[in-house]
Amino acid sequence: MDELDLRIRNQIYSSFVQTGNAPAPAETAAALRLAENEVEAALTRLHEAHALVLQPDGNGIRMLNPFSALETPHRVEAGGRSWFANCAWDALGIPAALHADGRIESVCPDCGEPLELEVGDGALTRGAHLLVHFVVPARRWWDDIGFT
Amino acid sequence: MVFLRSEEHLERWLAANGWEPGASMTATALHELARRWWWTRLEPDWRPRRPEESQAILDGLGLTGDFWRLG
Repeated sequence: MDELDLRIRNQIYSSFVQTGNAPAPAETAAALRLAENEVEAALTRLHEAHALVLQPDGNGIRMLNPFSALETPHRVEAGGRSWFANCAWDALGIPAALHADGRIESVCPDCGEPLELEVGDGALTRGAHLLVHFVVPARRWWDDIGFT
Repeated sequence: MVFLRSEEHLERWLAANGWEPGASMTATALHELARRWWWTRLEPDWRPRRPEESQAILDGLGLTGDFWRLG
């Protein structure tokens, strides 16, 4: 991952945080005055470096961790905007990455009941009693990051 | 990983899916892990963490043992 990859990565993250949508390679290329194929090549390298996750068919971005480019059961509001998170960890990661208070709506996968958590002033102020479970051990997190 | 209402819901969810128990923590503990893990993710000078730096975050929260070894 070189400096160009990092510039492209930062542009994609910035665009996603502002719009809630993962930019197409052509949009990123235009913003950085690069050729579209330079952005596409960088996306592959960033995926291989686990700096983002492309969709399984390679056509588009799936994850900008902790953000999800696809709808998930974990919705996060912060600063008047909302995004989806990839998992419970990432849901709490979005307010952390934004350095902001936030509200999380999720669902218990056992009973389907809605769950709510809130982060305020750097602390978890609602939902602290909830449990979190990791099924996959750490060394295998990236074997199938979608399942993890 | 997911949020669950209680230990009872966790046990039922694992059994329904035929999964062996992994590791559990409270949402409060996960919040602290999330803060340490994601805090710098949007900073302009972000660089990928080395594996030993990520491992140090887990170790620093007492997440030790084979389940929490990254490699």
